[in-house]
Parts: sequence; structure tokens; C-alpha cells
Amino acid sequence: MEISGPDFIKGLAFLGAGLAMGLGAIGPGVGEGFAAGKACEAVGRKPEEAGLLTRTMLVGQAVSESTGIYALVVALLLLFVV
Amino acid sequence: MLDVFSYVKACSLVGAGLAIGLGAIGSAIGEGLTAGKANETLSYRPELAGEILKTMLVGQAVAESAAIFALVVAMLMFFTNPVGKPLLAAWAFLGSGLGMGLSAIGSGIGSGFVSATACEGIGRQPAAKSAINSLMLIGASITQSTAIYGFLVSLMLLFIGFPESADISRSFALLGAGLSTGFGGIGPGIGEGLTGSFAVTAVARNPEQVSKVTRTMLVGQAIAESTGIYALIVALLLIMVV
Repeated sequence: MEISGPDFIKGLAFLGAGLAMGLGAIGPGVGEGFAAGKACEAVGRKPEEAGLLTRTMLVGQAVSESTGIYALVVALLLLFVV
Repeated sequence: MLDVFSYVKACSLVGAGLAIGLGAIGSAIGEGLTAGKANETLSYRPELAGEILKTMLVGQAVAESAAIFALVVAMLMFFTNPVGKPLLAAWAFLGSGLGMGLSAIGSGIGSGFVSATACEGIGRQPAAKSAINSLMLIGASITQSTAIYGFLVSLMLLFIGFPESADISRSFALLGAGLSTGFGGIGPGIGEGLTGSFAVTAVARNPEQVSKVTRTMLVGQAIAESTGIYALIVALLLIMVV
């Protein structure tokens, strides 16, 4: 099978896209889950503050999500730009 | 000289090994955590043996499902007959094994967290056992979602038709699809498991607040799921679009 240079580069870019999104999704998943878990614990302890706790949880998770979105952006760049 | 048939067959066997080998890691850890916590709780409250055993077994059954998906994929690959399949199928088999195996790790560990704290919670608050059991089932089932994405992508990679000849870039795209859903499933699985585990503890402490805690748990798990969904989208793009 004849393999051309640009084709090989494109192929490894696709592999990189898979690795970027896959590995990049690990951290936000664990982190957001941990934040949500602690929020559940807090709601159980102080149910009257549920609104405030949910809001804080969402803000914290949004920050934690950012690295996942960086991974998505890089994966899409590798898929469609390279 | 290696012909296409042997190449594809060999890769399907490696893929089968990867699927069940990696896929067995998470479920076993999760079930072990559950059994450990159940034993610890029983040492304080031996009179609850029946209740805790039941919760432990139900929780372990949920954690097992990720490994069962991996077993199904491994069996499909093991018994597949690759006569007439193009070279691209070899890469698809490797991607399929990695996707299923890696994504099962997170779901197995995550649902183990949930059922471990459910056993502990029943020991602490036996009166709330029905609330704890149902919250455990909801939380643990949600952790399985990324293993289901991995299962879906592996089945697509196994059964989709491939062109006879294709660029080498397509091969790497199929491998990348498996790696994306596979690794992408680990984080959300563990994270949703942590959420479910804290939620079960909160209900065991304060059973009247079960509806508020369930709501917070579901919102939080939905957000933890998002990166798993990005990984699924990237995998589908790698299979279908590029």
C-alpha cells in the first residue's frame, strides 16, 4: 500500500484528535462529578440553601468544563483544519 | 507475505483481548469497593446482613453491566468471520476494542462508588432504605451511560461497511474514534459515580430531603456527562465525516 506524506500527516492528525478529546474528557468529568457530589452533600445538610448551592455548583462546573472545551476545540481543529 | 484476511483476523483477536481486558478493570474495582464497604458496615450492624447483602448485590450487578458490554463486544470480535473484509476493518477492530474497553473502566468504578455508599448509608439509616436503594439505582445507571456510548461506537465500528481501498488517514481516524469514546468515557463515569455517592450519603443523613438531593444530583451528573458527549461527537465525526 502506497502511503503519501500528506495522507500520513492527516491520519496522525485524526489519531491526535481522538486522543485529545478522549484524554481531555477525563479531567472535567471527574472534577464536575466531584463538585456535583459535594453540592448534593451540602443540599442534604442545608436544604433551604438549595438555590445558592446549585448556582455555585454550576459556576464551578462551568470553570471545570473549560479544559474539556479546549480539548474539543483542538480535536475539531485537528479534524477539519489540518 | 501477510494477506489481508490474516491481517484483519489478527487485529480482530487483539481487539477482542483489548475490549474485555481493559473492560474488566473498572467493574472489578467498583464491585470490590462495594463489597468492601458492605463488609465494613456489617461489622458495625451485623443485624442488617440481609438488607445490606441485597443492596450490595444489586449495586454490583449494575457495576457489572459495563464489563458485560465489553464481553459481548469481545465475543462478537472473536467469532467474526473477516472473509472479504478490507484492510480498513483491521483498524476498525482495534478502535472498537479500545473504545469499549476503556469506556467501561470509568462506568465500572463510578457505579461502584455509588453502591458502596449505599451499603454504608443503609447501615447508618436503615429506615431510609427504600429511598437509598432507588437513589443508588438512578445514580449508578447514569454512570453506565458512557459505557453505553462506548458500546455504540464499537458496534458501529464492527458492523459498518468499509470501502475496499482507502487512504491511510481513514485507518487512523477509526483508531482515533475508539480512543476518543474510550478515554472520554473514563472521566464522566468516575465523576458521575462520585456525585451519586455523595448524594446517597446526603440522603442517608437527611432522608426527608430526597427530592432536593435527587434534583441536584441529576443536574450535576448531566453536566459531568457533557465531556462524554463531546467525545462521542468527535468519535462519530471521525467515523462518518472524515
